[in-house]
Amino acid sequence: MVRTAIQSTVRTSRTYRQLADRIRYARQDVSEIVPTIPGLPYAYISPFFILFGIFLLFPTAYTLYLSFFSYVGVSNDILLTITLGPLEITIPTIANLEFVGLSHYERLIFRDSLFHRSLFNTAFIFFVQVPLMVTLGLATALVLDSKFIRAKGLFRTLIALPVATGLVAYSTIFLLLFNDQVGLVNYLLTQVGFSPVAWLGSAWGARMTLVIAVTWRWLGYNTIILLAGLQTVAQPLYEAAEIDGATRWQKFRYVTLPQIRPVLLFVVVSSTIGTFQIFSEPYIITGGGPSNATITVVQYIYNQAFLQLNLGYASAVSVLLVIIVSAMSIVQIKYGGEK
Amino acid sequence: MRSQERDEALWKFGSYIFLLTLVVLVMIPLYWMIVAATIPQSEFFSWPPRLIPGAHWLENFRALQENVDFVNSMQNSIIIAVSYTILSLILCSMAGFAFAKYEFRFKEPLFYFILATLVLPIQLLIIPLYLLITQIGWTNSFLAVILPWAANPLGIFLMRQNMKAIPDSLLESARMDGATEFQLYYKIALPTMLPSLAALSIILFLNQWQAFLYPLVVLQDPEVYTIPLALADLVDQQRVYFDQIMVATSLAVTPIFVVFLTMQQYFIKGILSGAVKE
Repeated sequence: MVRTAIQSTVRTSRTYRQLADRIRYARQDVSEIVPTIPGLPYAYISPFFILFGIFLLFPTAYTLYLSFFSYVGVSNDILLTITLGPLEITIPTIANLEFVGLSHYERLIFRDSLFHRSLFNTAFIFFVQVPLMVTLGLATALVLDSKFIRAKGLFRTLIALPVATGLVAYSTIFLLLFNDQVGLVNYLLTQVGFSPVAWLGSAWGARMTLVIAVTWRWLGYNTIILLAGLQTVAQPLYEAAEIDGATRWQKFRYVTLPQIRPVLLFVVVSSTIGTFQIFSEPYIITGGGPSNATITVVQYIYNQAFLQLNLGYASAVSVLLVIIVSAMSIVQIKYGGEK
Repeated sequence: MRSQERDEALWKFGSYIFLLTLVVLVMIPLYWMIVAATIPQSEFFSWPPRLIPGAHWLENFRALQENVDFVNSMQNSIIIAVSYTILSLILCSMAGFAFAKYEFRFKEPLFYFILATLVLPIQLLIIPLYLLITQIGWTNSFLAVILPWAANPLGIFLMRQNMKAIPDSLLESARMDGATEFQLYYKIALPTMLPSLAALSIILFLNQWQAFLYPLVVLQDPEVYTIPLALADLVDQQRVYFDQIMVATSLAVTPIFVVFLTMQQYFIKGILSGAVKE
């Protein structure tokens, strides 16, 4: 690119000043500077990659490995000894394992009814919560995007405030709000003539409580993202639709919706990943109960791994969870990405 | 024509009603937290429930502090969240700078490899990390909570995206003036990138401040509990002290609200550059 710039410049016999400008322009196009010290970029990225390798890549691979084994206990065996002059580094094996092949997966898929139950509960929260939150978030974003709304910033801040409450903090608030005996929600229900609901005492009540809690926390977050998406839609499109006599609904259906599809897709996919990872809400609010009606997959992993020390089995659940979530995300991206 | 005007007015009215209802629904739990934190335990089981805050906050706080050392948990949370944020900012901004501004071999594959790991749920890592931490004897140490998540894939992505905006001519002219390569990073790149560093630091801080599952696994001694663990411990006990729980909850949430309200433009910028930018 630089060479053609020079050639054409010389051919048309322009001044040197213009030549220099052109070279600078061509280099800017490449948009990277060349370090004066070779290998310098690697020095910048290596601290990141060292931690990334030890604490992210290795554990990921190890989970897959662990899922084919049964955990017997902590091991004191030495895996590797590295001698560097006077320095001797010994790397111990991190667990004492017994190979069991695919039997964990076989048991999980065909025989473990508690796992099936946890999967059902998680799927229930997903199928109710994600459509509810996305619809509500989109409606809120549309209203906030209207020209006539005043104090937009204030509304946006108040609605987004729950994101700043910690998982455990907001879970405990909901534990209290939905308490069957002294909770505010039941009190308000009785005041308007309903009978109190066994929120935490019944299976469906407990599941609904989780749905409401999760929606409360994440609604504002998704609204902000959708609002940003709405603001990228070009105004002339709306004006053109108006000239054609489009109704409010038609403008939404044929202009807004197609335009914000990528942002909507992002919200749906990230909410999917989020709901399948739910842990602290059931752990705090329902404790997985009543009688395992709200135990989620991640809570099942936690129980298997750290209460019963079936680390291999719990790893197999983790691997299955990743497969399920990735499959769902791929389907959503494929289905929602085009047309 | 007049019916259209009426239609428009009705639409505006409906929109405001919708927004106000939503804000009320969002604020009720937070208001209730304040009420519950400021009334004595005995009034908790009265019917109808009290709806106006009382003046019993300090007594409730004393009872809480006697039950679990909440002040200590708060200290732990601050130490962990602050050092995690600083460490992660350094790692991500350095790597992001290299990915945005230098040309080197395997740059693209390395970067996309990091991005691909964004889809991994952290739960996948809990079990092997627990084994690793136990084996190197870091159980109950702050390092065990700080180090593993410091190499943050989202952080490096945001840093690279934003640092692309630094003009090359700025870096070149600094170099002509005799700046060393490292000075390009910390004297030119970092100061010009302050807003996006702020955005990232809020996200990192919030994540660490609210982290629950992983600290629950590696921090077992109440001495090293962070706020979420101390809170969960209160809920776990046989008799539920709602007043203390709500005092603790309000204390856990207040500093975050302050940070959020004062720096929300950066927070929003941070989540948006993670979400919307293509």
